Amino acid sequence: MKSFDSLSLLEQLQADTRQLIATATFLKNEDPGILLEQPGAGRWSVIQVLEHLNSYGVYYLPALKNGLMNGDAAVNIFRSGWLGNYFTQLMLPKEGRVKNKMKAPKDHRPAFHVDAQPVIETFLQQQHQLLELLELAKQKNIGIRIPTSLTKLIRLKAGDTFRFFIAHEQRHFVQIENTLAEVRNTTGKFQVAHQAG
Amino acid sequence: MPLQQLQQFVSLIYPLKEKEWNAFAAIWSPLECRRKTILTAAGETERHLYFVLEGVQRAFYIGDDNKEATLVFTYPPSFAGVADSFLTQTPSHYFFETLTASRFLRTSYRQAEELMQQYPNIQRMVLNVTALALKGVLVRQAELQCFSAEEKFRTLLKRSPHVLQLIPHKYLASYLGIDPATFSKLLGSKKI
Repeated sequence: MKSFDSLSLLEQLQADTRQLIATATFLKNEDPGILLEQPGAGRWSVIQVLEHLNSYGVYYLPALKNGLMNGDAAVNIFRSGWLGNYFTQLMLPKEGRVKNKMKAPKDHRPAFHVDAQPVIETFLQQQHQLLELLELAKQKNIGIRIPTSLTKLIRLKAGDTFRFFIAHEQRHFVQIENTLAEVRNTTGKFQVAHQAG
Repeated sequence: MPLQQLQQFVSLIYPLKEKEWNAFAAIWSPLECRRKTILTAAGETERHLYFVLEGVQRAFYIGDDNKEATLVFTYPPSFAGVADSFLTQTPSHYFFETLTASRFLRTSYRQAEELMQQYPNIQRMVLNVTALALKGVLVRQAELQCFSAEEKFRTLLKRSPHVLQLIPHKYLASYLGIDPATFSKLLGSKKI
């Protein structure tokens, strides 16, 4: 199965998380009307996408924390489990695009929101918690298994849970970029609404 | 060899005795990063101090109106990272990222702190580095407020002529507080 140097993997995941923080920081300053607008019937607004991501954080961040705290000390090499690796590959956007569409499970379908800021704040807080967890994970064995949110019967290694969780976020950020472009009616660059200068 | 670069750099700032240098040298580990890797995010407390061996990085701030300000560039040989967050161990206001593939030596706050407690000369050296950084910031602030776009542009080229090749122009324009169009114009009128 796929093997990683544990430290390098965690560093990479931290860098990925920081990129999400940077993008979300730009979103925070965006016109709330744009963030709350649904691009079409039954399609999620940017805020709904973030709320969907937040709902996963609510489960996975404590689950990862508990799992890691109770686990033993770090091992140099992390061997990805086949299921964990499969889920991650399924999630990851390829070349910045998402081809396979999926339907969100019932617990993770976001309601309509009136206020954008709290959702973004929560998202940012969660990403900072994630950064801290990834830092903690450097001292811990990330082979320890964490039950998934879908069913406790399926448990993925912490390393894979991190990979899968972040890949899922990255996937939805592609969606956010597309949604913004649609709602703004432009072909936007990825770094939403920011100007260097 | 990387440690040699560090030693050379440090010796220009403050001389360390052999025992002190050996202790200092021992806290650094190598790190390699791809381009556009964010090493520190705003809101995160800077855990590390970097010494740049290769590549260019920048620290930038995202403002409320989504205006992005590039505050500082780092390239060899120099220390890097979000200095104020590192020294105060409070959350950074800035993002620190690589602009090109980069190689560093890196150490942690804990290791640096232990060393500074143990060796007054190392603390003195860090103090000197910090003073130099502060000096640079004040000089820059005065220039940003007082110089014309052309003066700022010329000063940059005089101080660091190689930056035009190393750093994307949009970041240089931001750093100088000049809008990109003006920067392009100045670039065009520059005599090669």
